[in-house]
Amino acid sequence: MIEPFRTLGWSTWLGWQIESNWADLRLFILYLVVKPVCGSLMLVCMFFAAKYAADAGGVSGRVPAEFLPYIYVSNACYGLVGTVMFGMSYVVISDRESYRMLKYIFISPAQFQVYFIGRGLARAMEGFVGGVITILVGLLIPNIRDTVQLGNIDGVWLLVFLGIGAVMLWSCGMLLASAVLNMSRNGMFLSEGIAGLVYFLSGVVFPITVLPSWLQVIGLSLPTTYWLEGMRRAITGIPPEGSPLAASPLAKWSNPELAAALTVTTVVLVVVSQLFYRYSVNKAWRNGKIEETTGV
Amino acid sequence: MTQNAMRSQLTLFFQAAIARTYPRVAWMFRNRTWLLQETLLPMLSVASFAYVYEAMNAPKAYVGYVILGAAMTTFWMNVLWSMGAHLYWERDSGNLELYIMSPSPMMGILAGMAMGGMTTTVVRAMAIVFTGMVVFDVPFHPSSWWLLGLVFSLTMVALYGLGMMFASVFLLFGREAWHTVNLLQEPVYLMTGMNFPIKALGTMTHMAIPAVAMLIPLTAGMDGMRQVLFNSPGFVDVWTEIALLAVLSVVFLFFASRTLAVLERKARNDGKLTVKWQ
Repeated sequence: MIEPFRTLGWSTWLGWQIESNWADLRLFILYLVVKPVCGSLMLVCMFFAAKYAADAGGVSGRVPAEFLPYIYVSNACYGLVGTVMFGMSYVVISDRESYRMLKYIFISPAQFQVYFIGRGLARAMEGFVGGVITILVGLLIPNIRDTVQLGNIDGVWLLVFLGIGAVMLWSCGMLLASAVLNMSRNGMFLSEGIAGLVYFLSGVVFPITVLPSWLQVIGLSLPTTYWLEGMRRAITGIPPEGSPLAASPLAKWSNPELAAALTVTTVVLVVVSQLFYRYSVNKAWRNGKIEETTGV
Repeated sequence: MTQNAMRSQLTLFFQAAIARTYPRVAWMFRNRTWLLQETLLPMLSVASFAYVYEAMNAPKAYVGYVILGAAMTTFWMNVLWSMGAHLYWERDSGNLELYIMSPSPMMGILAGMAMGGMTTTVVRAMAIVFTGMVVFDVPFHPSSWWLLGLVFSLTMVALYGLGMMFASVFLLFGREAWHTVNLLQEPVYLMTGMNFPIKALGTMTHMAIPAVAMLIPLTAGMDGMRQVLFNSPGFVDVWTEIALLAVLSVVFLFFASRTLAVLERKARNDGKLTVKWQ
């Protein structure tokens, strides 16, 4: 019983060392912060560019003010999805192609999947810290500060969505890591691509009502859509009446309904990811992919 | 140096450049999966940012900025991953020591990497622009094709000159190469105004920030191309940007050859040329 926890502890430690010990602590913290903050600030610049264009055209109210906290918080939360999904799948590539250790992990008594979870946890810590710092930096911008206030944050629902979200992230990461097991180094593009697809379909930086209706249906089948809506709502509250953001199909859902939808879609994802993981490991083992170095 | 020796050096330079260009171009035909990963995947981020502007009721030209930004991103990614960090990968796979041992000049190999990378990336960028035009119905009406070609060509020379400089610096790097390349993405997208007019960054903060960002060839290149493609006002006049890009091209190429010589020697002295799996 203790074995999986030992594997989890050591793989998390290993993941953290790989991620962090290439630089001194100050440089590493800077690295941790700069990337997500700049990504979110780019959205801030897009918002203000559109606003300046509207002001110059004499239609100042054309860009709704509530868009800024929406895209900023949403993007900061999505950083967690990106880091965990990419992190868990990149473990396969780095351990197999670069460090050539994957085969030793596979034949060791360590549980293979738990090893991936540990490595994903290390990345999740990075993503979490990055996300929190991004939101804190956002508080320097008046439009965001007005919406994101400590008193407005719904702590209970934030914890609920973070908890279910952790299971969702584990499943997403396992799905990608399983797929990459049977691919060459090019597999790293898969996780980037899936992360981009989910970013698009989950309406991370725009309300999904902007999408064509058939894409909205796909978006609504993804757990990330519900997770992001829940996280946004827990941090910034419900969008004001009459806002284009309030026209979202999820805007009228209550928090328990959102959590239920997230739970159901996550359960489906867990089942699919576990079946796919077993199939992929078996296939990779039979085809010699666990020790294969492709150099491409 | 005698005329024959110089001719022989030049021949070797071009032979090395063509030899290094070949695998990059051949890869395009042998591994067709790039079509999916290099055109469809960037289109997803284009679509996301295009919908952000649509949701904000921004002018249609802004969606065009996003498409142009995505096309130019592919060049920046190519410069970072396939030029800058590439010698790090080559060292891991054992090719770097062969390059160094061979009589071919490293600048020739870097020039080949740049030419090959540029060829494949031009195809990707064109695919992105074409798909973007079709999907988002963005009108591209260049005021002058010649001017557009000039700005683009100078941007490429300056950008790949910078890539060659990165490659030599990265000779000394271990695992930090990966992280450094990662670090040079989002901040550069922000500083160069990848998805928004760079002037907006100046209006929001201080005009000195976009002025400094002009030292990154992407900033001047994209701002110039936007002026030509969308007849929109730029941060500075397009001819000033052309002059700046020409200067940057010369400076980066000069420093690339200097840093390569110095850092290659340092890497030899420090025993970093064959160290793997750092």
